[in-house]
Amino acid sequence: MLQTIAVLIAVGMAVFIVFPLLSADTAAGPLPLDVTLLGDLKRRRLVVYDNLKDLEFEFQSGKIAREDYEALRTNYLGEAAGLMAATQEAEQLKQDDAVVEREIAARRATRKSQPKIEYKCQACGYENPLPVKFCGECGARLATPGKK
Amino acid sequence: MNQVGSVGLIAALAFAAYALVAGAVGGYLRSPRITRSAERAAWGFFLMITLAVAALEYMILTNDFHNAYVAEHSNRDLLTYYKVAALWAGQEGSLLFWTWLLSIYSALVVWQNRRKNRQLMPYVVSVLMGTGTFFSLLVFFVANPFQELAVATSTGTQAFTAPDGNGLNPLLQYHSMVIHPPMLYLGYVGMVVPFAFAMAALITRQLGDNWIRITRRWTMVPWMLLGTGILLGGNWAYAVLGWGGYWGWDPVENASLLPWLAGTAFLHSVMIQEKRGMLKVWNVALVILTFFLSIFGTFLTRSGIVSSVHAFAQSNIGPFFAVFLAIILFFSVTLLFLRLDHLKSENKLDSMVSRESGFLFNNWILLALVFAIFWGTLFPVISKAIENTTVTVGAPFFNKVAIPMGLLLLLLTGAGPLLAWRKTSFQSIRRNFTAPLIVAGAAGAVMFAEGVRNLYAWMTLFLSVFVAVCILGEFWKGAHTRMRTASENFAVALYNLTMRNTRRYGGYVVHIGIVLLFIGFAGQAFKADTKGLMQEGDLLRINNYELRLSELVSGDNPNYEYTRAIFSVTKNGEAFTSMHPEKRFYKASQQPTSYVAIHPTLSEDLYVVLAGLDPGTNKAIVQVFVNPLVMWVWIGGVVTLLGTLLALVPSRVEREMAEMRLAQEMIVQAGDAF
Repeated sequence: MLQTIAVLIAVGMAVFIVFPLLSADTAAGPLPLDVTLLGDLKRRRLVVYDNLKDLEFEFQSGKIAREDYEALRTNYLGEAAGLMAATQEAEQLKQDDAVVEREIAARRATRKSQPKIEYKCQACGYENPLPVKFCGECGARLATPGKK
Repeated sequence: MNQVGSVGLIAALAFAAYALVAGAVGGYLRSPRITRSAERAAWGFFLMITLAVAALEYMILTNDFHNAYVAEHSNRDLLTYYKVAALWAGQEGSLLFWTWLLSIYSALVVWQNRRKNRQLMPYVVSVLMGTGTFFSLLVFFVANPFQELAVATSTGTQAFTAPDGNGLNPLLQYHSMVIHPPMLYLGYVGMVVPFAFAMAALITRQLGDNWIRITRRWTMVPWMLLGTGILLGGNWAYAVLGWGGYWGWDPVENASLLPWLAGTAFLHSVMIQEKRGMLKVWNVALVILTFFLSIFGTFLTRSGIVSSVHAFAQSNIGPFFAVFLAIILFFSVTLLFLRLDHLKSENKLDSMVSRESGFLFNNWILLALVFAIFWGTLFPVISKAIENTTVTVGAPFFNKVAIPMGLLLLLLTGAGPLLAWRKTSFQSIRRNFTAPLIVAGAAGAVMFAEGVRNLYAWMTLFLSVFVAVCILGEFWKGAHTRMRTASENFAVALYNLTMRNTRRYGGYVVHIGIVLLFIGFAGQAFKADTKGLMQEGDLLRINNYELRLSELVSGDNPNYEYTRAIFSVTKNGEAFTSMHPEKRFYKASQQPTSYVAIHPTLSEDLYVVLAGLDPGTNKAIVQVFVNPLVMWVWIGGVVTLLGTLLALVPSRVEREMAEMRLAQEMIVQAGDAF
């Protein structure tokens, strides 16, 4: 009896494990990125700010000599500036990328809508799915692609 | 119940093997549905191993002696909490227990990351379940705890139910033994999580410090549990084995210390990667080493290839572990080499006198210590394999190597935090080190005047004072700066200072704990012992104590027979305490053991062992130790534990970072992944 329950639990679990495989992947898309470039740059900037805060605190508590403090501060500020520049560049790149993406999307949209018009047979009215010279339904010669 | 356990084991094995493959495929194809299925298999692994553990515990608690494991490791009159502990008393049970802890860690990792680190997770699951597959295979095919008890008859083997079991090894019938193995195992097993994330980061080429951030707590928790387990083991050895010490450089003790030392190195060096983007290769290598040593420790403990007071098993599992260790090394090191290009440092070491170099020295010394202990532990095995002669490497070798290195580490414990990141000028060094050196120098002079002549003991105490002043000075200066800048009173300033950066100040508390441990270790240089044959009324003297044997009592209970010696003790001629060591004889296992009487104080422990009765004269064989400062070892352990817990509390700085990460995750989820 107990053994049967154990087997049933195992089978139930197996069904639960296999279940996600039966659903379509497309809804979720590919696995998302764990870290984005911009996010990473921002985080690194935060680390440098934190280092600066620490440095300031250690200087105030008398742990660090002024000479060290000034040299380290300059270093950290330089590092922060470098990261800010990199962030700006990445943001610019992202904007450019977005423009390119929009352009591509627009072109794809136009291309998608064209075949229906371009490859429609004038004789029988059949909408050929691919660019062809002769109609797949009645065999009549189609108009030159690009011309309606 | 045996069948229930077997169903649990075989289903767990199937789920683990499936998750190993599905994780890798899901990661390779970047498929959320295959990944989800692999993650569910990790849940299934947890559920089925839990079922197997429940079946075995049920049989132990209900005295089901038709199971061979239960008959071997438990008996009817065993106290209930020792019965619970019988789960990990033997080879088969403890491997099942190991596997169960792995399944808990895996389930927790899957749960915690169900919405984040989606690219790492398939591979993380794959590595975790790869380890799970190995242990399930081992438990099912090689060390199966669900075997029926059988006797050989003329018609073949026949199952039978024993009227009572052989009982738990008497040495294990001690309260800290109930929690020592789980702690140690949680420590060993937990190191698989940072390893899994490191491997996933290598495979996916995400080698920034994301994996370091994810695994920080997943490393600190096992490190803390391993440390606590080691100390509880020391406490057990001290209170049960009756040789007057808590650490004997036994191979199994060493095996637990090795991953702890490697983990300590890793916990320090990750800070350099987080702060400066350096030591990326080193950190991956340290994670690999820590995990390797954890499995190696389990192997040493369970295989019985080394002779040890703790090796309760002699078995045939050695070759399986050797193969698994080889696979781990081959897989991880190959992956590391393939990804070297992605592991370049973002910065260079600016100066040899800096926090980074302090961490580096700490790492080198820790690694040198790991190497020395590893070599010393394995040398007898290697020499036997090559020359067929057994060479014993004992405490003198380990002390010779470990004490100087330990002292250097102690020095860095105090000096390291006072060095600034990047570079520290002579002026800063003078400013920070003058006061600690003056105080430590004064304390050293007083100790010398008081008669401390042992060089190592003197250095330990001198450095302990130095480090304590350094660390307490950090709290003091920090709190005073806050009092000045934020107009807070001392208590509030100290609290805010600590909570703003719990990781740093928790770390400092850990360092104070380490100082206390070292003070306890230094006490070893001043220990005294004596022994004697005594009858009622006899006196035994040691240092300023006098022990009079008032009475020898014999008695009996269902679990064991005992002889108890009752001592009245005076110190400096005044009544001090009464102590009752025992010699016990456990009925079920037919084994004798000593029950040590200890009177602990902050300055020293009085430790009395009744080794037995002399067969010729029937006098009590008594051994007495005076162990100075041992209490500080346990106090140091507790402080270290508390410091680690403090470091685990999210600090304000971390919360700011977490908010930012959350925002970033939302961006990612919104499909704005760049």
